Amino acid sequence: MPLLAARDVSKAFFGNPVLRGVSIVLMPGRIHALLGENGAGKSTLINLLSGALPADGGAIEINGKAIAHMSPGEAQKAGIAVVQQELSLTGSLSIAENIGLGAYPRRFGLIDYPALAAGAKAVCERVGLNEPLSTPVGQLSLGRRQMVEIAKALYREPRVLILDEPTSSLSAAETKTLIGLLGELRRDGVAILYISHRLNEVMAIAEHVTVLKDGVRTADQPLAGTDAAGLVRLMVGRDPGDLFPHWQPATERTAVLTVTGFSAGMVRGVDLTVKAGEVLGIGGLVGQGQEELLLGLYGALPAKAASATVGDARELPRNVPKANAAGIAYIPADRKREGLHLIHSILTNIMLPTFSRVPALKPRSRSSERRTAEQLARRFTIKGDLARPAQALSGGNQQKVALAKWMPQDPAVLLLNDPTRGVDVETKREIYIMLRDLAAAGKAVVLLSSDTPELVHLCDRVVVLREGRISALIERQDLSEEAIVSAAVGVEPQKAAA
Amino acid sequence: MNEAAGAKPTRSLGSILRSRPFLAFAVVALVWIVAGFTMRGFGAYGHLRYLIELSAVIGLVAAGQTFVVVTGGIDLSVGAIITVSAVGLPLFTWQADPTGLSAIVATLAMASAIGLVNGAGVAFLRVHPMIMTLAMATFLQGLLIIIAGGSAVSVQNELVQWLGNARPAGIPAGILLWLVISAATLWVMHATPFGARLFALGANPIAAQLSGVPVIATTIAVYAVCGFTSGLAGVLLLGMNGQGYVGIGDPYLLTSIAAVVLGGTSILGGSGTYAGTIPGAILLVTITALITVVNASPGWRSILFGALILALLLLSGREAARR
Repeated sequence: MPLLAARDVSKAFFGNPVLRGVSIVLMPGRIHALLGENGAGKSTLINLLSGALPADGGAIEINGKAIAHMSPGEAQKAGIAVVQQELSLTGSLSIAENIGLGAYPRRFGLIDYPALAAGAKAVCERVGLNEPLSTPVGQLSLGRRQMVEIAKALYREPRVLILDEPTSSLSAAETKTLIGLLGELRRDGVAILYISHRLNEVMAIAEHVTVLKDGVRTADQPLAGTDAAGLVRLMVGRDPGDLFPHWQPATERTAVLTVTGFSAGMVRGVDLTVKAGEVLGIGGLVGQGQEELLLGLYGALPAKAASATVGDARELPRNVPKANAAGIAYIPADRKREGLHLIHSILTNIMLPTFSRVPALKPRSRSSERRTAEQLARRFTIKGDLARPAQALSGGNQQKVALAKWMPQDPAVLLLNDPTRGVDVETKREIYIMLRDLAAAGKAVVLLSSDTPELVHLCDRVVVLREGRISALIERQDLSEEAIVSAAVGVEPQKAAA
Repeated sequence: MNEAAGAKPTRSLGSILRSRPFLAFAVVALVWIVAGFTMRGFGAYGHLRYLIELSAVIGLVAAGQTFVVVTGGIDLSVGAIITVSAVGLPLFTWQADPTGLSAIVATLAMASAIGLVNGAGVAFLRVHPMIMTLAMATFLQGLLIIIAGGSAVSVQNELVQWLGNARPAGIPAGILLWLVISAATLWVMHATPFGARLFALGANPIAAQLSGVPVIATTIAVYAVCGFTSGLAGVLLLGMNGQGYVGIGDPYLLTSIAAVVLGGTSILGGSGTYAGTIPGAILLVTITALITVVNASPGWRSILFGALILALLLLSGREAARR
């Protein structure tokens, strides 16, 4: 009997249908994959299944019994746990407190801390979290926080576990731990719903797949016998072609940014040259200093260097305006928190770097702002009315805005922090094409990525960081996933037999 | 991802009618009409003009306060800056300058400098705006006691007296001053890149910094502007009042913040307009005038005023939850 099911559910926001007659059945002891592009309705379906939103039509069934209006509390009681894509942790609380939050063991009306510690310790061991339980979550890297989120779900001993893009911020090792853990849970009879954009991962662990496209279910079938290309076709409704564009490596390349003995945060003694016309990849396990490297070069984090040449300047930019003036732009990973002003219009977001650089009291021209923004919206295929707030856009479109807003500055160096994280396949491809186009136009593109195939197929060279130092600089002809992963974990890549 | 889409903010007639500045103006008009018909003398031209003249002082302070609040900050030293300006101006009197202009310039420079220190504390030392400006207010109050003692100082400055009492073309000079400052404020906020930076800083300081907004310079500038307009309010108040004394600026702290919030500017920063603060200031003065008519002791009037501000803020809609 299914543990949790949605029968023919529909949901609309402000009159826009987001789900139309979708059904999904979660069986005990089965890993069920849910695929679909951003905006296909996956998150909404999860919200219906977990009681976070009421359905407009159709029914939610728990153990075969239809529930009219399931509240989040009832869902929790029924053993439904969700690991959200947007982390729901409280930064100032400890790992243990976050894990227990809302389900604290009580003793005489007070929190039973010893019991909490014991329970938290058990789940942390299962997910491979070996940090002290009293560590505030705010001090952990994004990947570790994701593991706390998973531990938090496990602590509630779920019978149905829903994971929304759990591996988007995990390192390879953490992903492996998670996949092992899901196998254990399956054997224990837990029903697992797994949402991911990483098809290879889905193919490796799931047994059943449901595909959504524009709020409609386009497939619901066992995974055995389907191929990745077929799934992508079901998601995008067309032949996917090659995910990565074909490109020619630049022939003539001059250095636009050179640092030696560069240190920032955990980064120590890094020598780096970025050349015009290339895409330079930055790889490694999550949290090895990649982000500090970018932020240090961008003047957003205190940094030192033995010598530095940035454009015409002979020193590192000391702050962001100086970095911008030297022709450096930065596109953050967390677009909601760091990249965009969600409550402001798309136009204002696109124009902000320009506003930051022109004379403070130079009168604004609404018509020329509008023209610039419209041109960029067309070039980057940003959908939607420019006067609408940026929060109305899907994740992929938000990412395009975060990239487009730098174009009026015509930067020589673009620093991108994981630009395709949580972005659907089609937008990913669009971003890949944009990045190669920018490189072809003579820009230096520095691409920090947690997605190894991206580094292999898109970059001229890849720098791999490990514990704040460069562990390998891999040239195009030697690029492979094995080479990057080996350098990331610190083992010698196996040379092909001579 | 959240597939939910917000309402379309097109500039239709409906959206203007629902905008906060318009609503605030509508409330002022409604109160004036009702009071005009029910209370003798309220609707007289001279009385209404007097209300707006009084509003000008709040409006000037609230102009600076709007700048600060839009960036996500708050200035709790405006009352003290007003007092320092009103009490300090008579001290800046030079025989060589019979017009009194130099004293005004010196006073405004001092007020701006106080704001500059506020801004530097917030931007460089990363002291929370509330702590920084509250400490500044306490510091200034101590300074005033040392300099002025308990006595009131009378104004001899001709230009200040003109500002407080003259009516070129029948309009009080204070109102004209407010008009000029209002126009400048609205222009800076909505028609310059500097204004756009303020809203960006208030809506998301991290994203603003990473987008190249000069955060430190912008922060210092808004507190300096707030010091400047507070100083201007102090000068105007001195002119209207004829004398300055310790405590003269105290009532303007709460009213300046209330005017900003009543006008629809988010106390969290990032959205709003001075166009709403203007009717907010007029509304507060109107309420004060209505309360004065009530036959009650000063203690009860103050309690009533505080309660009414609270009620108005609750009615005017609480801050929408932010993610």
